[in-house]
Amino acid sequence: MKLQESILIGLAACLLGAPLMARAYEGDWKRGNVYYRMVCTECHTSQAGGAIGPNTRTRAEWTAYLQADKHAKGKDSLRSYVGKPYRASIASTNKAAAKFADVPDEELYEDLKAFVARSAKDGDAPTGCR
Amino acid sequence: MAHQYQGAWFVRCRGSAGGFFNLLLGMAWLFHAAAAGAASTADHSKFQQLQQEFKSGQELTRACLACHTEASKQVMKTKHWTWEALNPDTNQKLGKKTLVNNFCIGIPSNQPYCTSCHVGYGWKDNSFDFTAEENVDCLACHDTTGTYRKPSGLAGHPVYKEMEFPPGSGEIVRPVNLQKVAQKVGKTSRYNCVACHSYGGGGDGVKHGDLDSSLEAPDMDVDVHMDATGLDFNCATCHATTGHEVPGSRYAPVAKDRSSPLLRGMLGKRNPATCESCHGGQPHKADTMARIKPLPGHTAVSMAAMVNRHGEKLACQTCHIPAMSRGGVPTKMVWDWSAAGKRGPDGKPVVEKDAKGHTVYDSKKGAFVLGENVIPEYVWFNGEVKYTLLGDKIRKGSGYVPINRFGGSPNDGKSRIWPVKVFRGVQPYDPVNETLVVPHIYGTDPAAYGVSFNWEKAVVAGMADAGAPFSGKVDFIKTEMLWPLTHMVAPRAGTVACNECHSKSGGFSEGRMKNVPGLKKGPLFKPTP
Repeated sequence: MKLQESILIGLAACLLGAPLMARAYEGDWKRGNVYYRMVCTECHTSQAGGAIGPNTRTRAEWTAYLQADKHAKGKDSLRSYVGKPYRASIASTNKAAAKFADVPDEELYEDLKAFVARSAKDGDAPTGCR
Repeated sequence: MAHQYQGAWFVRCRGSAGGFFNLLLGMAWLFHAAAAGAASTADHSKFQQLQQEFKSGQELTRACLACHTEASKQVMKTKHWTWEALNPDTNQKLGKKTLVNNFCIGIPSNQPYCTSCHVGYGWKDNSFDFTAEENVDCLACHDTTGTYRKPSGLAGHPVYKEMEFPPGSGEIVRPVNLQKVAQKVGKTSRYNCVACHSYGGGGDGVKHGDLDSSLEAPDMDVDVHMDATGLDFNCATCHATTGHEVPGSRYAPVAKDRSSPLLRGMLGKRNPATCESCHGGQPHKADTMARIKPLPGHTAVSMAAMVNRHGEKLACQTCHIPAMSRGGVPTKMVWDWSAAGKRGPDGKPVVEKDAKGHTVYDSKKGAFVLGENVIPEYVWFNGEVKYTLLGDKIRKGSGYVPINRFGGSPNDGKSRIWPVKVFRGVQPYDPVNETLVVPHIYGTDPAAYGVSFNWEKAVVAGMADAGAPFSGKVDFIKTEMLWPLTHMVAPRAGTVACNECHSKSGGFSEGRMKNVPGLKKGPLFKPTP
């Protein structure tokens, strides 16, 4: 009987936990679009010599780039440009950074991932810079 | 008592393994519900009807209609479905099904290509069943994943099997996951609207001049209402929709609305998409005018009164939309079909692009002139629009034949000066019957112009499909079409300045209004009592 209860309790824990795990944050490509356009593209256009359209790379290339987390040919971390400290540093001049100031770093990173995956050269809706 | 109750509840449940599991499943479901988005009261991923693979759009629509029993009936009454509209003022039967324009010209014989923007599945020819509810496409407007697309040439269907698109391009398009899209349906967003309304005429920004893909996530300078980091309006914020009927059609536009703001519950038959429906007829207030330097002799109060009086003769858009295509996407200004047919040295059709990569020549379509940040033209407009329809007599001369005419004059009391995009073209017509024609442009059959490069063949096929007479002869005629501008509203700082219309001499001969008749010369800086 005790064994049966233990099994049931274990199963209960699994069943209750599973939905939460299954509900891991799924990137919001629309929010990713706004951040990409108004933060990434804005800065690249004004300071890095030109914008990089999401459709200039394939999904695999974007995935590799985002996983590598190397910005400016490895000079710094890509994630740092999505993190709260960076957003706070530009919030006074960048409305997107201000609007998303409190979004958790991981969520915003997932948003960007979802957007570039959708908008890549071989994505469901290839998108250029605008 | 609560403790006792919980204990009894636990004991009762653990009395059988099945009951206990049911309990756990119930709790798990509650956790699911809690984790779902808070904005909607329904999580479609839990719907039994959507736990299956869908092989076609129609199959999915049947699942939608199992719950949304009236949705298709509502959609079928709308212009989005019928592509027909009756103008009550002129009794002209309009709509995409009927009209001829100077972009892609007309849909007869070209249906599989045009109907990628129809809210339906399978409109490939005149046999399409407009009464079959399963043909309604729910996803075109309710997809939230951004993965649902209907490529041109598939008669309104998405891609069900991996295919090369465009044919011969080497580009492979993956099939859409209809189950995933169905489980994530939601309220219409501007991405849904933009997917069609910004791509009319064959590409991004081509047609309207004030609608293009920059409106997916615009900044304030592009559109103060849709500013993605500001007000963040959806299209439906203004085009407030009831029962799938979207108000605010250019087939029956409102040129002058000087009413009070439209309060909730007072919709009636009034168009909720006018500026005045929110801002009212006297939108400029002394407190906002106080932020700018008053003209000599004026106070903030008299400035506000003076600018409000402009609203009697000027549409709000005239000052608040200083230029079209301001989001980095060019709009097409001229389309010359008569230039089509050129071949490259290898005898094959050619496509030429400008420095920014935009197509300016295509053997299958002709030559284009594009424009960005284009200052509009201005016309008196009282809301009456009359179209030149297939069968209407036209005469070739030195000027442009109007595809549509805007009614209006300085003195009719109903007109205001509106900013318009004037789209000019050179298109095929029948010089014997003196009518516009619809050519069969798109397709892979021998009659399609893109295959035969033979206008006579293409027009024979197009006019036969339209059921309209054709003499067999083709010539080209210059046409122009007016498009009222109403989107891409600039913030206050970007509005048209006084001296862009009023010259120093007080006249209108030099500025934006130089071609608008009936404007009286008067001093610019006349103080208002």
